[in-house]
Amino acid sequence: MVTTTWNRRHVLSLEDFSPAEYETVLQTAASFQEVLSRRTKKVPALQGQVITNLFFEPSTRTRSSFELAAKRLSADTLNFAPGTSSMTKGETILDTAKTYLALGTDLMVIRHREAGVPQAIAQEMDRLQTNVGVLNAGDGQHEHPSQALLDLLTICNLLDPKVPQLSLLKGKKVAIVGDILHSRVARSNIWSLTASGAEVHLAGPPTLLPRWFADFVAEAEKTQPDVPRKLMMHWQLEPALRDADFVMTLRLQQERMTQHLLPSLREYHQQFGITGDRLKLCKPDVKVLHPGPVNRGVEISSELMDDPNFSLISQQVTSGVAVRMALLYLMGSGKPGGEA
Amino acid sequence: MPAELLKNVRLLDAATGRDDVVDVLLDEGFVRAIAPSLTEIPDDAAVQDCAGWVLGTGLVDLYSHSGEPGNESRETLESLRQAAAAGGFTRVALLPDTKPTLDSIGAIEGIQSQLKGSSSRLQIWGALTQGIEGQQMTELAELAMASIVGCADGKPLAHPRLVQRILEYAQPLQLPIALWCCDRELQGDGVVREGMDAMRLGLPSIPAIAETSALATVLECVAATGTPVHLMRISTARSVAMIAQAKAEGLPVTASTTWMHLLLNTQALSSYDPNLRLDPPLGTPDDQKALVQAIESGVIDAIAIDHAAYTYEEKTVAFAAAPPGAIGLELALSLLWEAFVTTEQWSALTLWQALSIRPLKCLGQEVGAIAPHQPAELTLFNPSEPWTVNQQTLKSKSANTYWLGKNLTGRVVKTWNG
Repeated sequence: MVTTTWNRRHVLSLEDFSPAEYETVLQTAASFQEVLSRRTKKVPALQGQVITNLFFEPSTRTRSSFELAAKRLSADTLNFAPGTSSMTKGETILDTAKTYLALGTDLMVIRHREAGVPQAIAQEMDRLQTNVGVLNAGDGQHEHPSQALLDLLTICNLLDPKVPQLSLLKGKKVAIVGDILHSRVARSNIWSLTASGAEVHLAGPPTLLPRWFADFVAEAEKTQPDVPRKLMMHWQLEPALRDADFVMTLRLQQERMTQHLLPSLREYHQQFGITGDRLKLCKPDVKVLHPGPVNRGVEISSELMDDPNFSLISQQVTSGVAVRMALLYLMGSGKPGGEA
Repeated sequence: MPAELLKNVRLLDAATGRDDVVDVLLDEGFVRAIAPSLTEIPDDAAVQDCAGWVLGTGLVDLYSHSGEPGNESRETLESLRQAAAAGGFTRVALLPDTKPTLDSIGAIEGIQSQLKGSSSRLQIWGALTQGIEGQQMTELAELAMASIVGCADGKPLAHPRLVQRILEYAQPLQLPIALWCCDRELQGDGVVREGMDAMRLGLPSIPAIAETSALATVLECVAATGTPVHLMRISTARSVAMIAQAKAEGLPVTASTTWMHLLLNTQALSSYDPNLRLDPPLGTPDDQKALVQAIESGVIDAIAIDHAAYTYEEKTVAFAAAPPGAIGLELALSLLWEAFVTTEQWSALTLWQALSIRPLKCLGQEVGAIAPHQPAELTLFNPSEPWTVNQQTLKSKSANTYWLGKNLTGRVVKTWNG
């Protein structure tokens, strides 16, 4: 295993991740990718530990990915889903977390439809002086750190299949297109990609890309002056795509039309949909990412999504398991029962 | 009760602007004597050395919420009264959003009979609309005859037509009216003020125009009718500018913001503490700055507490799912003093007036000077006493505050309710 320092009990946001931490995740994930290519795709790293998936918001894909990652690390897994719980009987979110704490949980993977819930549970775990780690698997419109880290690994793998490292992204142009406002994936990716030295270009209509995105990223340099960040915003698609190395599109929820944010899906696709034609503005070897699930023909054209020359969508899903193994391993390995 | 001699106390008289160190003798609810050094003291007087302490005009809260009747698990009238006294407030005006609402003489007399005999003065805002539902005005002429501070729903009125009619109807009534300007449609499902922090934190946001567009409507209605209005819970920089202009034009408006809007801004939301979920939400740093300046300049007349108790279960939810509001009566003076007086941003008198005579003026009421033969409606405050905010130190039944578990400096020693 890679020997690196990792002092983080919780992974709640990528806002304050340091370049060294990204490197640690990438290197650890790369070693798990090697494990996953073996015939026996399992290591005893977290044997005896209990990992609980607290998914207050329904999720199949992310939960499956975390569950598989935990199993590949030989941890025992518990799954919580609100439909089968006593949440409706007046139990608070902290009560639920404490129940799983009492069951012996070492790590909690938490998804919630509202921003801030993983952080609230992490604070409660710290207040109770437990050493339970909390991993944010998506909170409202806030962040989805493991998704951004798997995107980072996917991109690095492509640039150098042997040694994924942050410096590969330096100077690359990455366009993030679509409903930035409501996207936790975009927020986490903004932090990771700008920290890598990539030039990040956001594109979307003004209603889905408020001007404040540039402000808070600029503000972050005050607390992390050693991490210069390059972020540009565009209310048109073309300048974002021009000479881009990577294009990340985001899921557009159908309800945005009724919230007066867009006139129609048709116009959205016309203005911001990613098509083969549009990609001609980008570098010839441009690749397209999407966190899924995809609205075919809305944010990305159907044929492009299935075109292995452009689409990295299935690589993203595969990378997800290795990245989640890396995070669980790094968070869990310092604990009793974990492999040091 | 024996006479009390407060020696070497810093007297802050909000009514006269007096600020000096004196001895004060209190007896049977009255101020008996004030002098640089009192020598004629009753034999049985309790003598307290108050060096470094402040004796000021009793604090006045323009609006807060009572749990009783209807939500006694949050706060009862008794716990609220104790919290008010512990925080230095001798008068608190309660909003009518109880269950049942205080929208009729009967309901108001009911609660007033419960308050009878209690020493601290809990006063009542009657509702402006029936059931505070914003559809039909209450019997305002009859309410104007009752002993209430005025009429307010404590909720935004959605229909400009109703605002206009209420102000027309109330013209001859001499009834203080307080309105909260907020367009619920523009607010949508937002929970924090739109801006950089809302975007970073991924919390649904409320544009400032949710407040300012509703404010513009109210100001136009005031201009058209001439009926005085108090503007509650002002929270944006743009609103401050609009109110400054309205006042310059001579419109009969007064305005208040809340203590938390002066102390915090959206940057504090990084904690996702549900106790920072307020309505209106905390402003941006620019909003906060404008509000602080507006208290200094007088564009905003008063600081309100807007004390709103919620149980642990009600507040232990995601930020966006939390009911808006926080307790404040026991915390406001300590925190405001530390933030503005200790730092010398404001004079002690500026803060004290914004918490006493200025809110009273918004209600068309006055308070006398601190002088011999006057009733002792006073607050004694030790600005350097350290204490920790927790369930044991709080008199309120609920502990829904951002400062729970934190150490504060400055605590009220005693209040006298005249």
